[in-house]
Amino acid sequence: MKGTRTGFIFWTCIIAVMIWVALPAGLSAGEGIDTLRRSVVRIYTVAQTPDYLVPWAPGRTEEKWGSGFIVAGHRILTNAHVVSNARLITLEKEGDARRYEARVHFIAHDCDLAMLVVLDDSFFEGTAALTLGPVPALDSTVTVLGYPIGGDRLSVTRGVVSRIDYRVYAHSGVDAHLVAQIDAAVNPGNSGGPVIQDNAVVGMAFQGFSGMVAQNVGYIIPTPVVERFLQDVADGQYDLYVDLGIQFFPLINATQRRALGLGPGDYGVMVGEVMRAGAAYGHLQTGDVLLSIDDHPIFSDGRVAMDNDRLLLNEVVERKFKGDTVYLKIARQGREMPVTLTLTTPWPYLMQARQYDVRPRFVVFGGLVFQPLSNAFYASLQNKTVLLRYYYSQFLTEELYMHHPEVVVLSRVLPDPTTSYLGGFVHAIVRQVNDTTIRTLEDLAEAFAQPADFYAVNMVGDYPPLVLEARAVQAARERIRRQYGITRDAYLQDSIVPPEWMDKVHDEG
Amino acid sequence: MKDESRKMKAGYEKLGRLFTVVSIFLIAAACSPLRVAPQNEMVPADARQSLLRVTATRQGHFFNRPWQRQNPATQTAIGVIVPGGRVLINGLLVADHRYIELETLDTRHKAPAEVLVVDYEANLALLKPLDPDFLAGRKPLQLAGDVSVGDSLSVWQVKPNGDVVPSMGRVTSVELGVYFQDHLFLTYHISNSLPYRFNNVTLPVVKDHALAGLVLRQNPSGQAVEVIPTSVIRPFLEDAREGPYRGFPMAAFLYGPTLDPQLRRYIGLPEALTGIYVRKVIKGGPADRAGLRAGDTVLRVGDFALSNTGRFDHPQYGQISLVHLIRTHYHVGDEVPVQVFRDGEILNLNIVVGQRRPDEFLVSPYIVDQAPAHLIVGGLVLQELSMPYLREYGSDWLVNAPIHLLYYQQNQDYLDSDHREKIVIISSVVPTPYTIGYEYLSNLEVMQINGQPIRKLADVPRALASPDGGFHRFELRQHPKLIFLDPEELPLIHQIITQRYGIPIPPME
Repeated sequence: MKGTRTGFIFWTCIIAVMIWVALPAGLSAGEGIDTLRRSVVRIYTVAQTPDYLVPWAPGRTEEKWGSGFIVAGHRILTNAHVVSNARLITLEKEGDARRYEARVHFIAHDCDLAMLVVLDDSFFEGTAALTLGPVPALDSTVTVLGYPIGGDRLSVTRGVVSRIDYRVYAHSGVDAHLVAQIDAAVNPGNSGGPVIQDNAVVGMAFQGFSGMVAQNVGYIIPTPVVERFLQDVADGQYDLYVDLGIQFFPLINATQRRALGLGPGDYGVMVGEVMRAGAAYGHLQTGDVLLSIDDHPIFSDGRVAMDNDRLLLNEVVERKFKGDTVYLKIARQGREMPVTLTLTTPWPYLMQARQYDVRPRFVVFGGLVFQPLSNAFYASLQNKTVLLRYYYSQFLTEELYMHHPEVVVLSRVLPDPTTSYLGGFVHAIVRQVNDTTIRTLEDLAEAFAQPADFYAVNMVGDYPPLVLEARAVQAARERIRRQYGITRDAYLQDSIVPPEWMDKVHDEG
Repeated sequence: MKDESRKMKAGYEKLGRLFTVVSIFLIAAACSPLRVAPQNEMVPADARQSLLRVTATRQGHFFNRPWQRQNPATQTAIGVIVPGGRVLINGLLVADHRYIELETLDTRHKAPAEVLVVDYEANLALLKPLDPDFLAGRKPLQLAGDVSVGDSLSVWQVKPNGDVVPSMGRVTSVELGVYFQDHLFLTYHISNSLPYRFNNVTLPVVKDHALAGLVLRQNPSGQAVEVIPTSVIRPFLEDAREGPYRGFPMAAFLYGPTLDPQLRRYIGLPEALTGIYVRKVIKGGPADRAGLRAGDTVLRVGDFALSNTGRFDHPQYGQISLVHLIRTHYHVGDEVPVQVFRDGEILNLNIVVGQRRPDEFLVSPYIVDQAPAHLIVGGLVLQELSMPYLREYGSDWLVNAPIHLLYYQQNQDYLDSDHREKIVIISSVVPTPYTIGYEYLSNLEVMQINGQPIRKLADVPRALASPDGGFHRFELRQHPKLIFLDPEELPLIHQIITQRYGIPIPPME
């Protein structure tokens, strides 16, 4: 008891000293505020979001405000979510009443980063470019600059770095990368603004904690993620993040370790799920033990020592690019062996990812509207059947993409004499049209383009065939288009399925 | 497909509503408006000689903690003495019963009783007092003759002091209603409210001093009472009298309407023919054995022609669903002649209708009157997936239960090629020092143990008899896909579970 109290006092002293010691670093940011303010911009975006329930409609427009900062080469960095689906972007800076139009140069939705260019280069007169710094240390002070709600002028807040860890980036909803958590307020409008330490950018403010329980939790994108983005786009295009395509299982259990031929200790994780569409497929198998990745020994919780910290082994892969290799040392049935993987993007993830800067894919045939399952389409549904929930949530783990690279759903039946009896088919998943197996929306469009008297659409599950007579569809086409304001029969761009994947599917029959 | 006939099927049923039905009873009781019963009714002086108050104390199991029983709950109902010294009552009243007591209404004598026959699907049970003389001198009620829409029926309510209070109501409709889960049988709807129901689960419905039915439930908003009619009670009593009770028959196929002219032309069904479209034939069921196929159109069943929505012209009730015809006009083992249209020809098939016990489903729709089978192996709790297990996810179980398990429940006939008779899952792990690292494993399907396929729980002990390389190797369908236990540690783990948690370890047989 006594010992505990002593310890508490001791730690209180240490923390107080550290804060005090840390203050000068913060002050130096404050001293430079007149320089720093020349690097921060306010971003105004008019965005247009498609309506997945009416996929042919232009969609609703909305205004959003965010922040950004200037980097070398007359470029501006901000969050992807500040400028996604943009139709118009304008910039403002301190001490200049004019507004300058900007365009998206590169945008990376999987890490919520974007680079803008300004049409009028005179915008950069009197501005200063910021440089990127390292990952800030825990408990060090950082300054957040930006244009959050609550006023029009530049806002400055300060906090300490509370934690460095992985977290899902809310913009795509499926990608997890490194984040730094700070206790400075990060509010709407702060997004894209720089987080400064020692006059260098150590992160970009991007999201808060959505929940009633936590307080003073703001998240920033640390510089390794920003630097990776800059490096990726250096060749003129943004490729997505790459991945091993596995799930690993921590080897904490002593029996599990012994059964896999490992001794006690804090090393090694087991390969669990190996994704068919991932880089490791054919190279790693369930039950393999990962020992090291690019010569970083792997601890038994899947972390590696990097940047004076223990980060998830994913971080090694996170910093690589499409086509790069990663070197693994594994133990298979007690035997150590090397494995070199060429990294890829496991595309089926994209089905569950929020998509931006794309139009909804659809096919209208007669009074029937077909759409592929996607995050936005799924989210727009009020009632989700068990079948749709299964196909959405188990798309990766049950490898449903093998038979349904796109899960083509009858999304809507537009009332018409030709569809009077078809209401019960809404939200059914298409399996076949006449003799054609439907793997993608393109397959469906092609099947409906084939001449036939009847189009019998067979669904997944216990449905009877949905039958359309070709002449009825033909006769109803113009009427239905006019009545419901349908401007086009199909939109087949913006598929998430890579063409080479479909080549493989067709080759395998 | 919102047509009611789609939800009904002359076959095996899927969705369960045990708790819905129970809660409807409770709500109905609580909401009964206090209205004075119509006055111009007579109760025969000896009505109390024909009725008994039945008190049943039930105690089910927690299927997510299969070693534990629920709180005992006691309910009462008014039973009817039927010829042969038996008491007719609702089936669900005695589900998972521990003790049943009968009480006479006049002398207020009490005596224990046992269940002679129960049919949960038809929600009917026959009780027998343990003392054979308990019903001596009582006056059984005979079954009433036919009832038609417009007839007046009397519901006999019973006050706590034993007085019988009649209230009259007209039969407004005769149609299929939910008895239990998705088992549909005929119901009378009578316009009435039951102010003196006093929480009795059922009450007799009488016509001309003879039993016309039992109250199934009361619709609190519509002031309508649903009644189990004699057309269901009569075959139940007949079957109960004649040796081993085998339940109500099914044909085991799913059907839909043939209203859509496009569908009719596609299958070549002439205008003059009416019938139902067979969507699916349950593999191995009676219809399958008789040669019925998906895509057939059933034109006639027995002596009756079917409409395009699956109704037939009942001499007494008018247009009634085919489900009633198959389930109550026939007994298990009867041959039902059906006329079928297939590929332009008319065929005659004979379906020998049968029953399918709940344990014959991949996912048992209900498990009553028995403890949930389970094994505890080194802390892993192994169970067969069942509806009662899914229902442990609360009133919103269709939303909250794991989607991969819900999918099996709703699509169990698609697992034929899988050869699994049951889905064996690790439902949870009892944490012990030996299972550190396994605590969070739950709802994982067990595919193999020690290289042997697990198709039902009974396969587990056999597979555990031969460890693989000194370990028990569990192969799972979901991540982490593979875990191990040490056979030598199992007794230690089991001892800890018994000592620390007081959880008994089921014997391995």
